[in-house]
Parts: sequence; structure tokens; C-alpha cells
Amino acid sequence: MKLTPDQTRMLAATVGLDIPEEDLENVTLRVSALLESMAQIEAALGAEMDAVEPVPPVFPREDF
Amino acid sequence: MQSSSTDPVFLSAAEQGRLIRDRKLSPVELVQAYLARIERWNPVLCAYITVCADAALAEARAAEQEIAAGRWRGPLHGLPFGVKDQLNTKGVKTTLGSRILADNVPDHDATVITRLKAAGAILIGKENLHEFGKGGTIEFAYGQPRNPWNIEHNPASSSSGSGIAVASGFTSGSLGEDTGGSVRSPAAANGVVGLRPTFGRVSRWGGVMYGWTADVIGPLTRTIEDNALFLQAIAGHDPKDALSSTRPVPDYAAALNGNLKGLTLGVVEEMTWPQGVNPEVAAAMEEALRTLEALGATVTKVSLPRAKYAVPLQLLTSDSDIAAMMLKQWRTRWRELDVGTRTRLAAGCLVPAAVYHRAMRGRAVVRREVLDMLGTVDALLCPTSLNPPGRIDATKENVDSAEAMQQKVLLRRISTYPFSMANVPAIAVPAGFTKTGLPLSLQIAAKPFDETTVFRVAHVFERSTQWHTRHPDLTKLAPAAGKESRS
Repeated sequence: MKLTPDQTRMLAATVGLDIPEEDLENVTLRVSALLESMAQIEAALGAEMDAVEPVPPVFPREDF
Repeated sequence: MQSSSTDPVFLSAAEQGRLIRDRKLSPVELVQAYLARIERWNPVLCAYITVCADAALAEARAAEQEIAAGRWRGPLHGLPFGVKDQLNTKGVKTTLGSRILADNVPDHDATVITRLKAAGAILIGKENLHEFGKGGTIEFAYGQPRNPWNIEHNPASSSSGSGIAVASGFTSGSLGEDTGGSVRSPAAANGVVGLRPTFGRVSRWGGVMYGWTADVIGPLTRTIEDNALFLQAIAGHDPKDALSSTRPVPDYAAALNGNLKGLTLGVVEEMTWPQGVNPEVAAAMEEALRTLEALGATVTKVSLPRAKYAVPLQLLTSDSDIAAMMLKQWRTRWRELDVGTRTRLAAGCLVPAAVYHRAMRGRAVVRREVLDMLGTVDALLCPTSLNPPGRIDATKENVDSAEAMQQKVLLRRISTYPFSMANVPAIAVPAGFTKTGLPLSLQIAAKPFDETTVFRVAHVFERSTQWHTRHPDLTKLAPAAGKESRS
């Protein structure tokens, strides 16, 4: 998903962040790239993702 | 081109320790030698933010007296170590490479610092890093870290100073922190050894470890044996870290007497020969594979097609974890942060919760693929970096286009992130040099908590190739470059 700078500004406002104009394009490019990557991952792995738990890989007592 | 491995500052920590034990090397003289080198060349290389000269000398004198009195504590007794300035040190400034923490002086030591001190090791300084321990810093608050093999080149991120200090003969060993590659990448770029241990093997307590599902602390050293000694000292359960493992810690040094016969090593095609891999990296990798086969290993090609998703999945999740912890500072001190830090982590702040949740599921899928593969081979191999260390000006992560975001942020991390995401131990070991004298590196990963196999393979390779005996010649550095680099 490609965001516009205005969308980025609104998204930032939801977490109380006021991104200065000179950084807005940079942040927009970064968030857009991450969301576009996620869309590709959903297309490739979505069904498998539905079938696993989102457990982080931090198992201090896990057996391997 | 290189300094000699017989110079005490370039001896392995293991050898230094043996000489100190036998009272053939003075801890005081060793610390003095390192301090002299730091004084002369740190202004150029910017490896250290803070140097603990007086305290280190006092501790060295105490160690010398203790050993003379027959109270030798073990192989690290009397050896100096540096630590990434992301780990808290009692009474010593801990900046995280950020201007906003310039006056931060913790009242406690991180557990790993406590353990190294208990082993008799001596804190010599706090090492430079990308701001908050994450890559992508553009302007460094405490000076531009430079690669000692060529100061125009990048020492990699984010434990930059930790790699520079070990390679430059500024310390016997260092501790770094690795989220996606922050120990292994500087180890590779500076021609030293760097281990990302299994998450849970080493206590994170007392470090600023906001990437709570990925951040681990690991040693950077000049040899595999040194790395095993440092890991031995810091590994093990810590009640202060709820996610540290209760598994017993094996004798890592015992793994160093093995050979490669009977081991099957899988070369990950997607992480070794992707489009755009540097030809000299590819050639060094081919040579490394021939060496490992000649040493008795069975080398086979394997495929991890989902590995390519590791970088965005990690950034979507770990960057969000870190950004969430820094949000208060982001709101009030935005302009005091480096532009690379604030824009990268602002993006982390803006990842919607539903996307974060799906990315965590994606991580589980990628992790499963790596672990399944490790059920069929003893270790996985790939280059630690697909490119030799680039020029500093060319490797800054300036994001001014979608293409720059892909090339500078997402694609360059493909070699290290999949192993972080899988929570497996992975080591960077020197594997040659480019024609222009820049280090190249082999990465070896094994099953969770199987650091012994990682050390075993790496040690046999190291002994056979001897790349670790080369050291940069700092006498050729231009003093003026340091002055220019200070920000």
C-alpha cells in the first residue's frame, strides 16, 4: 500500500507524533515499502500464516 | 599490509590469558598497550565513545596482584574488554550513541558485565554504535566509525565500534548486541569473529533491549577460541531475565577439538548466490566450500525460499517493538535524534497493530522453514554479507526514493536476518580479503542452543585458513581523517 504524506501525517497523529515536513516524505517511503512488502508476503504465505500461532521465537525452556 | 599476530595486543585472548596465568604477560602492561593505541588511533576510527583508562589500570593492577598471590580466576582474568554502549555500566556513561542520553550514567551493571568482571576481565571502554543500537544512522553523535582496513569504508552496523576495536588491537574482546545482524555484520566488515547466540542463552538484563523478541548479546573476538571463552563467561540462566534459558551451559572450548568428518553442511542458495552478489564474495564463498569439503564435511546446496521475507518481517515487528518504547522521546526530542534513526523508527511506530500481528505469524512461518532445514543438515552456510564493506558515503541509508528503500534497507540485510528470525546461533568468521584488502566473511548457523556445532565448524575452518592472523596496519592511517569525521 502506497501512502501519501497526508496519510502518514494522520497515522502519526494517532500515536501523538508530529512529523516535521522535512522528514515526512522519508517516513512515508519507509512505511509504504514495509506495507507493500507485507502485501506481497500475505499473497505468498497468507494461508500458512493463518495456520500458525504468532508466538515469538523466545522459548527459554523449549526442546529442540 | 598487516601487523603481526605476535604483538601482544594482537595475540588471541586465549593466548594472552595463558601468558597472564603463567605471569609472562602483565595485565597492567597489556592495558597500557591498548590505551596507547586507543589514544593514538581512536580519534580516527571512533571505536570508543568512553574510555575507562584510570579504572581499567586500577583493575589491571588489582588483577596482577591477585594472580601473583595465587588467586587466578580463569582464562579471562586480567584481560580488557570493550562493550557496545547499549549495555548499562555502573558509574560509566551509557549513551546508546544518542545525544539525548549524553549524560546517562546507570547505577548498575548489565548481567553480562557483572559476569565478565567476576571472571576477572577489565572494562576498558564503551564502544560506538548506531543510535539506539539499530542500523541506519546517518550522522553519528560521537564520531563517524571507520573501518581500520580502509578508513573510507564502512565498519558495518550496528555494533560498529565493537568490531573496529577488536580488529584494531584496542581490546582483547568486545560484547555487541544483535537484532538482525548487528554483531555478525561488524565482525564481517572488520575481519573478526562475531557470534549471535541463541535467544535465551545470554541474559539481556541491563541492556537496552527493546527488540524483545530478537535482541541478543554476543561476543566479537579475534579467534573462535576467544569467542567460546567469552560466551562461556556470559552464558547461562539469569533470574532477572524472564526469557533466559535454564538449560545447562556446555563446555564450549571442548567443541574446539573436533573435526568435520560426518557433518553435513547446507549452503543456502538464496542467501549465497542471489542476484547482485559481489563476485569477490562469491569467489571467497566457493573457496570456503572447497576448504570445508577438503576438511571432511559433506557440503550440499539447500533452499530456503521464504528467507527473502525475513527482512521486512523483522522490520515490521522488531522496529515497532523498539519504536513503541521510544515514543515519548520521539514526541518531544525529534530533532535531537539522527535523521536515519528518527525516520526508521517513526515508520516502526506507524505499523498498524493488525499488520504487526500478521507479521508475527509470518515470522513463525519463516522460522519453521529454517528449523525444518536444520533437521536435515548439521549447519547452514552463507556469506555474512553479500558485499565487501562499502564506502561510507555510499552506504548511508538515505531514503529518498522507493528504490533506495529497497536497495539500502531491505535487500542488503538478507544474509543475516533469516537466522535472527529463526532464533538460531550464527557466527561470522573471516574468510578472505578482496583484491583491495577488505575483509570477507563466512556465516555458519546451527540448531537453537547448538553453539558447540557453530564453534566446531568455525574453528576447523579458521585453523585451516589462518585468515584470522592478519591485522590492519594502523600506522598508515591519516590522522586528519579523524578530525574531519568528528560531528
